[in-house]
Amino acid sequence: MTYANAADGVPGDAPRDAVSTYERHRAELRASKRLWNIVALLAFLVCLGLSVWISQFYPERLANGLPRIFEYFATILPDLQWNLLFEGRAEDGRAVPGSLTFWYTDFWTYVALIWETILMAITATLMGAGVAFVLSFPAAANLAPNSWVYWLSRRFLEICRGIPEILLALVFVFMIGIGPLAGVLAIAIHTAGALGKLFAEVNENASSRPIEGITAVGGTWAEKMAYGVVPQVAPNFFSYAMLRFEINVRASSIIGFVGAGGIGQELNRVISFYSDDRVMAVLILVVLTVTIIDLISERIRLGYIGRENFA
Amino acid sequence: MLKIEKLTRRFGQNLAVNNANLQIPDGQMVGIIGRSGAGKSTLLRLLNRLIDPSEGQILFGDTDIAALKGRDLRAWRSDCAMIFQQFNLVGRLDVVTNVLTGRLYDVPAWRSMAQVFTPRERAFAIQALDRLGMAHTALQRAETLSGGQQQRVAIARALAQEPKILLADEPIASLDPMNAKIVMDALRDINKQDGITVICNLHTLDTARNYCDRIIGMQDGRIVFDGTPDLLTTRMAREIYGAEADEAFNEAATSTAIPATPAPVRVPA
Repeated sequence: MTYANAADGVPGDAPRDAVSTYERHRAELRASKRLWNIVALLAFLVCLGLSVWISQFYPERLANGLPRIFEYFATILPDLQWNLLFEGRAEDGRAVPGSLTFWYTDFWTYVALIWETILMAITATLMGAGVAFVLSFPAAANLAPNSWVYWLSRRFLEICRGIPEILLALVFVFMIGIGPLAGVLAIAIHTAGALGKLFAEVNENASSRPIEGITAVGGTWAEKMAYGVVPQVAPNFFSYAMLRFEINVRASSIIGFVGAGGIGQELNRVISFYSDDRVMAVLILVVLTVTIIDLISERIRLGYIGRENFA
Repeated sequence: MLKIEKLTRRFGQNLAVNNANLQIPDGQMVGIIGRSGAGKSTLLRLLNRLIDPSEGQILFGDTDIAALKGRDLRAWRSDCAMIFQQFNLVGRLDVVTNVLTGRLYDVPAWRSMAQVFTPRERAFAIQALDRLGMAHTALQRAETLSGGQQQRVAIARALAQEPKILLADEPIASLDPMNAKIVMDALRDINKQDGITVICNLHTLDTARNYCDRIIGMQDGRIVFDGTPDLLTTRMAREIYGAEADEAFNEAATSTAIPATPAPVRVPA
């Protein structure tokens, strides 16, 4: 039997029959898959059509709107003048229009609020990750001590991440008043839900062998988690928590729109009261902050994981 | 004295252990042989209750092991140490902490959660490691060790439990002959020096013959042989192993017999 003699799936003697049987099965499988592919494609096209229709996503609307984007940008662009750019404040404390000092009159207010935003993100991430850590063990199918604890912790985490942060923030502002505490609580609750699910899924991938080892020495459930699971999952937990911190910096710079603290509050104020170059001033600072935080956090995360893998 | 009466374990329709009866006096070294799927592993896991029995009794002294729950069950597990084929260490913890987990039953909850161990506990763990020749690896991560070294750490963890019985589930099946010999010598030493009962699942016949006072043969969940090594005839062994006989008798492949020290008893394949 050589490759050169092999026929193209034509029925014949015994070994060729195996080939033709295989070819027939292959053809049947492909036919049934083709049907499914067509059905799936049609379903996708229907969904796409519906969503375009409902959201009114038509090219001419987009084309009409585009110039207005630039119009808005024109209104929030600062009117800087080269010769006045580095002009300081006058005797009476007034800044000269056209200078950087004029554009960033409230610079230190912005910095203070951005600092508050970062602190809000740190606090919320720590609180949320703490709750997520504790609940991720009962919420992992392979680790839960019994089914109702599993069910309860899963549902609790779902509720936590199901409610949008901005909605939670509104409720907390109403409950405890305007300020960063409302924002921190709102973000922490959402973080607990989102991280809890991710942590639980990491736990579900943990090897059962160390856990069995701790069971066999007479360890309690908590000891099985602390010694058998945590060392396995800790690097992944850390990495997810850092990723969440990046997300939370963005979230806490928005959440101030409903009065829950941070730079969002100021952004909302300058947009609704002035809509002038102050909007751009705040936006630039927010984008800069988020980018810098992302870069630092990514560095730490990759550095840590790299160290873990090559230890 | 460990006594098993009419012990049965079902997995669905399948009888993994079928009506097993055994009496094991303190201080014996027992080898359980049989082909894969004969129920050796299930029997061992029933003994320290990693698996619950479907029927029957396990008696240690006057205590019914099969009925233990909660803290009593954990007390039994700490008295009845277990060694696994895949070692079951926590790879990312250091070696000494792995050994210290052997003391978890006696450590109060707040200390175990904070991973705080007393100098005396640490000293005991290091002594256990030193007995296995592994004290120099104490601060290394367990996963950086070779298979044979990990199994020795696992034995040190078992020693840290100060057990009355030591169960070993295929302790040498993942090891090369040299390491297999070190591990089996260590188990026999623990049996002879400390008088701890050792019950050991073994895949190869010559290892069981060389090391054990008593051999138990299992086939399809039943105990079909129970006696001293010299009572185990070739014909009997062939029947116990069935289709796996050649593999089990071939000591070159998976056994503790290394060329320098040939096994005293050999069964022609």
